[in-house]
Amino acid sequence: MPEAALTGLGSRRRSRRLFAAGGVLVGALALVALAAPWLTAYDPDAIVVASYHGPLGPGGAHPLGTDTLGRDVWARLAHGARTSLFVGGLAMVVSFAIGMTVGLAAGYFGGLVDAGLMWLVDLVLTMPSLLLLIVLATIFPPSILTIPLVIGAIGWTTFARTVRGDVLSLRERDYVQAALALGASDARIILRHLLPGVLPGAVVLAALRMSGAIVVDAGLSYLGLGVPLPTPSWGRMVSDAQTYIAVAPWLVVAPGVAIALAVIGFNLIGYGLIDLIGERRT
Amino acid sequence: MTGYVVRRVLRALTTLLGATLIIFVLVRVVPADPAVTIAGPKADPETLAAIRKDLGLDDPVAVQYGRYLARLAHADLGRSYMTGRRVAGVIAERVPATALLAATSLAIGFFFGLALGIATAARRGSLIDVAVLLGTLIGLSIPGFWLGNVLIYEFSYRLKLLPLGGYGTWRHLILPATTLAIGEFLFYTRFVHTNVGGTLASDYIRTARAKGAPPARIYFVHALRNALIPIVTVLGLDIADLMSGVVLTETVFNWPGLGRLAVQAVFGLDIPLVAGTVLFAGVLVLVANLVVDLLYGTIDPRVQRA
Repeated sequence: MPEAALTGLGSRRRSRRLFAAGGVLVGALALVALAAPWLTAYDPDAIVVASYHGPLGPGGAHPLGTDTLGRDVWARLAHGARTSLFVGGLAMVVSFAIGMTVGLAAGYFGGLVDAGLMWLVDLVLTMPSLLLLIVLATIFPPSILTIPLVIGAIGWTTFARTVRGDVLSLRERDYVQAALALGASDARIILRHLLPGVLPGAVVLAALRMSGAIVVDAGLSYLGLGVPLPTPSWGRMVSDAQTYIAVAPWLVVAPGVAIALAVIGFNLIGYGLIDLIGERRT
Repeated sequence: MTGYVVRRVLRALTTLLGATLIIFVLVRVVPADPAVTIAGPKADPETLAAIRKDLGLDDPVAVQYGRYLARLAHADLGRSYMTGRRVAGVIAERVPATALLAATSLAIGFFFGLALGIATAARRGSLIDVAVLLGTLIGLSIPGFWLGNVLIYEFSYRLKLLPLGGYGTWRHLILPATTLAIGEFLFYTRFVHTNVGGTLASDYIRTARAKGAPPARIYFVHALRNALIPIVTVLGLDIADLMSGVVLTETVFNWPGLGRLAVQAVFGLDIPLVAGTVLFAGVLVLVANLVVDLLYGTIDPRVQRA
């Protein structure tokens, strides 16, 4: 879905609540990811059933059951949180860095620089992102590092557009005009005067980009092009389990709920922030 | 108007040129040796050299790019490494399936989203407003490929009402189209709701109300017309995202469209097929955006002067 649909949730009180709810979700997720080895007695990659008679249902020693290879689902899910957060986080940082640079440069220098960079943005927006990702994922052998870098290298356009727009309006402010008149260097104006002004908007996008990257990562691993096995990943858990959906539906449900909760968490933070930051600005 | 159209078409063409360059570069750096893919790993060096010469892989990169462009101009996308068939032909075969799926889902999702968005737009600050914003936010967080699997479980395995995948009758279309349409529906509901809601809160609407204009006129003539501009813009942007959704949905439901073709081509390292499919999808998005740009100029004449 295009991130162009960036509008807040209406009232500030409502936004604060949703932001808090998102914070709780993301906090819980981060906790699970950090404490994964202590939250489960099982190795996520180990076969934990003594003899295999098909996947075990949830309950008893295996709170979410075991999967089609006899591995503990909760252990894989908890370790999968590490994968998802790491991939999402690194992808977001990469997008943030590229988008900030492009947006600041385009907005500040204008003219040909602006035209060229915005042409690049249009170009990236034109190519269906998942198809580009699929191609990139084949070129660079998928690993825990290449996947987030590739996702990040495609998801920066919203940052660039928003930052550029903010810079265009900030440029006209008196304090920026004054700095220009005093002969401050380009670097000083960009870093000291423009960057702080565009940060609030970029922070909102960062939270939403995080959820976007987690979805993309899940989609890629669902297609079998994500972080390679044996690293547990939620998307891969869905695709591995779908053949057995008739006999073991919980195997599909668990990772899907995990992806949805992570994405909802970051979305709540992002959309909550729109109004919270917006009101402080005015 | 003519100047505006010319500018838009020119911009679309330069973007297209950029897209061909990106794809050409990407394809050039794919580590797999095309000659090995065609001849197999056991081929002797002479055969490989002959194939490379045949494909022009020994020429300078610029020459290869020029040749690539010249072929594209004749709608020649090369031949598939796996089957030896013309890529353009293979793509053309897959277009109807993808077009059917994408168009059905977009039409249904957009129509119902527009309807619900307009119906709830006036309820700003009420419980309905909260329900729409929160409901769409949560709904849009659910990955489509997972939703597809849940639908398969419910309607194919448990209720045994619909086929769990494949292509052919209208019954095959229901589940994949629903999967995609739900996402589109939620997105447009949210977008229309906020945009029409925002327009309804503006001064000129208050003026129209004060003048005693009938509510239907205020809604459809005053508010919707202005809210239509961002809606149409986002519709154009959405086409690229819809294509991404199509890739996943086609994989879930074994739907023989372009998305599955692209994924299969990638796994087979069939470079011409990958490049052709991605470029074709890019052209689709470009055309959709061009249409939107031109529509835009008609809906809002102010745009043409910008």
